[in-house]
Amino acid sequence: MKISLKWLSEYIDVPQDIKKFCDRLDLTGTGVEGVEKTGDMFDHIVTAKVLTKEQHPDSDHLWVTTVDVGEANLGENGQPEPLQIVCGAQNFNAGDHIVTAMVGATLPGDFKIKKSKLRGVVSMGMNCSARELGLGNDHDGIMILPEDAPVGMPLADYLGAGDTVLDLEITPNRPDCLSVAGFAREVGAMYGKDWTHPVYAMAEKMELDTQAEPVDTQVEITIDDPVRCPRYTARVIRGCKVAPSPDWLAERLTAIGQRPINNIVDVTNYILFLLGQPLHSFDLDKLTDANGHAHIVVRAAEEGEKLTTLDGEDRTLTSDMTVIATPEKGAIALAGVMGGLDTEVTEETTNILLEAATFEAGRTSRTSRNLGLISESSLRYERGVDDHDIDLRSAAAAALIAEVSGGTVSYATVNDQGIVDVWDQISPVHNLEFRIPRFCGMMGADIPRENIVDILVRLGCEVTEGENEETLAVVAPTFRPDLEREIDLYEEVLRLWGMDKIPPTLPGGRMRVGVRSNEERKLDIINNTLRACGLNETVTYSFAEPSDLQKLHMSTEGLGLPVELINPLNADQSVMRQSIIPGLLRSVSYNQNHGVKNVQLYEVGTVFFAAEGRKKPKERRKVAGVLAGAMGDATWNATPAAFDFFDGKGVIENLARELALPKVRFKALSAEEAPHLQPGRAAEILSGGTVLGWVGELHPLAVKAYDADAPVVAFELDLAALVKSSEPARPYVDVPTFPAVTMDVAFVVDEAVTHERMMQCMSSAGGKLLEDARLFDVYRNEERLGKGKKSMAYALVYRAADRTLTSEEVDKTHERLVKKVCGATGAEVRG
Amino acid sequence: MAITDELAALQESTLADIAKAENTEALDQVRVAVLGKAGTLTAYLRSMGQVPPEERAVVGKTVNATRVVVEDALASRKKELEAAELDAAISAAAVDVTLPGRAQQMGTRHLINRITDEICEVFLGLGYTVAYGPEVETDYYNFEALNAAADHPSRSMQDTFYVHDLSGDASKVRGESDVLLRTQTSGVQVHVMEDQELPIYIVAPGKVYRRDVADPSHLPQFNQIEGLVVDKNITFGDLKGTLDYVCKKIFGEERKTRFRAHYFPFTEPSAEVDVSCGICHGEGCRFCKGTGWLELLGCGMVDPNVLRMSGIDPEEYSGFAFGLGVERAACLKYNVPDLRMLLEGDMRFLRQF
Repeated sequence: MKISLKWLSEYIDVPQDIKKFCDRLDLTGTGVEGVEKTGDMFDHIVTAKVLTKEQHPDSDHLWVTTVDVGEANLGENGQPEPLQIVCGAQNFNAGDHIVTAMVGATLPGDFKIKKSKLRGVVSMGMNCSARELGLGNDHDGIMILPEDAPVGMPLADYLGAGDTVLDLEITPNRPDCLSVAGFAREVGAMYGKDWTHPVYAMAEKMELDTQAEPVDTQVEITIDDPVRCPRYTARVIRGCKVAPSPDWLAERLTAIGQRPINNIVDVTNYILFLLGQPLHSFDLDKLTDANGHAHIVVRAAEEGEKLTTLDGEDRTLTSDMTVIATPEKGAIALAGVMGGLDTEVTEETTNILLEAATFEAGRTSRTSRNLGLISESSLRYERGVDDHDIDLRSAAAAALIAEVSGGTVSYATVNDQGIVDVWDQISPVHNLEFRIPRFCGMMGADIPRENIVDILVRLGCEVTEGENEETLAVVAPTFRPDLEREIDLYEEVLRLWGMDKIPPTLPGGRMRVGVRSNEERKLDIINNTLRACGLNETVTYSFAEPSDLQKLHMSTEGLGLPVELINPLNADQSVMRQSIIPGLLRSVSYNQNHGVKNVQLYEVGTVFFAAEGRKKPKERRKVAGVLAGAMGDATWNATPAAFDFFDGKGVIENLARELALPKVRFKALSAEEAPHLQPGRAAEILSGGTVLGWVGELHPLAVKAYDADAPVVAFELDLAALVKSSEPARPYVDVPTFPAVTMDVAFVVDEAVTHERMMQCMSSAGGKLLEDARLFDVYRNEERLGKGKKSMAYALVYRAADRTLTSEEVDKTHERLVKKVCGATGAEVRG
Repeated sequence: MAITDELAALQESTLADIAKAENTEALDQVRVAVLGKAGTLTAYLRSMGQVPPEERAVVGKTVNATRVVVEDALASRKKELEAAELDAAISAAAVDVTLPGRAQQMGTRHLINRITDEICEVFLGLGYTVAYGPEVETDYYNFEALNAAADHPSRSMQDTFYVHDLSGDASKVRGESDVLLRTQTSGVQVHVMEDQELPIYIVAPGKVYRRDVADPSHLPQFNQIEGLVVDKNITFGDLKGTLDYVCKKIFGEERKTRFRAHYFPFTEPSAEVDVSCGICHGEGCRFCKGTGWLELLGCGMVDPNVLRMSGIDPEEYSGFAFGLGVERAACLKYNVPDLRMLLEGDMRFLRQF
């Protein structure tokens, strides 16, 4: 909200040091978002008086003048010194009061005033015309000011344009600060200063016209639902002349960025900004029926009801909106948000119906949101307008309308206030207890009782002695809907007492230790392992394209339904991801398109599976990674191999080791089982019977669908499954003390025989003495080995834990192993 | 010629050969030729039986003496040659140490998680436990239980992502849903208060979502770290002391904090915390927009309504809560010019951290 300090200072002393004032505002809860000095463009421009005027020695049309600028120019002796200025205007004489732009001024059009010489005569500034100052179109000569104009006054001050306007962030709990008067109260509480509320004097000025038709016989008000409209008041002002506002009124509104419209509308805006009361002025004659009666009905809008609002927009209303209506015309205004075009005040208007009311906060806020129509009124109603004292604020408005438009305020027969007032729901007054020891205990500081009382009173509370000397009885003001509970008062006292005065401490408390959960510790291991494998952690969007799984060719089996956003930012991000891989593929593509060919990424993040009939989706955390290119570019001493299936598998093997996953198996996945993977380079990962996830090379078509270059090796694991399978530690195995014997053997087998099968055979045949079998070569050669055959060479390590093996023992075991493997797999030993 | 003369000659020529040997290999050949199985000196030793008995003592002594001399000469020459050869090998093996090393590539932690780790680590040291909550929440946990008014503007479709409620329940507000992407990690507070024993000391890092179009300073998906303490006799001073300590640990001991009163529905009193600008140290510069301070987080004492809704008696217990934007902390620490880089997965960005 914009606050003019000039306006504010009518009600309270405003601190001179703006910087310090802003700091204090910031600390006490009113954020300062901007400070604007409206007189800045008149910097170095002052009122002046012509002392002498002589013909320029070298020109017929130029004058050499000396100009008194008072203290705006001081000589070396510290005394005011007139300026010599060469001037081309013809409309002035010595003794005239004028406006002078001194050296350093900048006139509109970025025209900088400098010391200059005009035909050899020094000129220390410029005497200005109204047009040169941007103050009008008059350029017949320089501006001549009245004879009583002061000399040497900054032009901004002389014109009254010297104002500072603060742009304030008022928190949503403080509707009272959305007005100059309310803000004056806040400043008073901030500095312990007294202030004057303007509403009383203004309301007192209202005079009632007892000759006119009484307002209560002419206007009837019906409120359908007091929850929607707790209070509605109307006044009638007759005989108004709609015209431009007087200067002072227009200036006030202009200063805070409001465009003056006419005297009636400007007064309603003025009261809104001054007192925080939204008002609406209707053209009374457009509301009345054939008998000259106006029947105002506040009711729910009908579904589909139409209203053209003041901004000229045709609005279609819904039943949760509230309207002001008459039986004849239907809706004439959108309650609390905006008036209707039909009944607005125009130049022809003479009789006015002035509405001052309160409307339900929530509904007003929803209405303005749903229509995309946020007005100064709706902004205040959605935060809460005090239903108490509306009559007073309406009287202040009526008096001012009468004053600026020449109208008269109609009297009423039922009261002496000239008002029709329906107030069916009165907001409660809160009587609160303030326990001083509890407050001080919770803040952690001893705040003196007298300071507490002073702060509360200045905020508008009534404070009296409580039940005992440690308590206060506080009546919260109704304009502070946020003060309903004792704690609300604590906040007020703390912020104005000063949070900076509270000494910092750390919580005590015995028996408290910080622990990490098992899942987090396992996650640390996972992160550390993946990084040690050379993968870089990234984060991608949790949002996904609805077509992502289809693009990826990934089966939706077991992934539930996608979580669909009702209001996505765009179609590409309209569901929540069911797999992390599409996001990672987008990053692979991003990198490849930016010339980065070697990509090693992983992400640990949530995926979402919805199900029909279930409110919230299932969330599962996944560990996913992608590898494209190689681990690095070739260097002088190393050439990293291009990534393939086995790089992905190696990462998983490291994870399995670090997490102590028992009985890890890689089971080949068929094209049907994993359509997103390249058949033959795809495996499911199991630990015991638990499926952990998959690893493989993504299907070239899937990679292409994401505009990336294949091959891309990927894996996606379920975090919960990893954590569950992970054992607390690997068991200790004795370090061998007896020597081992290594025997190499190459088996020629059919292509279909897997390494896993070979290992199973060898370990069952080798028994206890076989310590390790390491595959060191796989060799294919049709001529030598035959078609569909491969040679698998293993280094077999034999060792006994309790003795040195004899060569006979080794030979016997090895022979038996070879025989069994050959028998079980059809292998032949390669010679 | 007498044998002793022969031996003297052999010794002389052998010593000359030893001195001439240019490397250990040549030296070994000399050794074998003289002392090997078929060596010249060995032959004398072998033929001692043929020497007449009266000369045997003298000859034997001479042969042995010759052997000692030869062996000594061999040993010392060997030492010399070995030293020279090692020197040669070492100088031949010298490399340009400025050539790149042979390193296994280490992966990197994402900047946001790196900072989250740092912050959680500080809180672990203060005796806090790390907690997590779901990213898709119900209105109750994201708003209602946190005291947000039913019509709070942050609930609007412009600010909050809503998801289709598949339970069949009708939404309270037209067009909205009871299910949404959490807009704050504060919902974890409620889960923890419902589920955990008192006292509570937790931090809850996690992703949150707001309906902001991605631009250099906004992301629709970002990260917060929520903190919650509920215990007996917790004071606003404790809140100040805790956050001051944490800011100093994260940004540096020389940094100051400042508490500005503010409003949040779920805390009262509420404050925003600024940390002094690390570039100008509070003087005011472009980075801090001339204020000397950088806005860091929101915090406050837990509102009694929030405690009560979770079944905690606010007369007996009090607490504080805070929420910190991790991206904000990242920007303050690293001056990242465009937040979107955090979600692009650009290797050139990721590998900086």
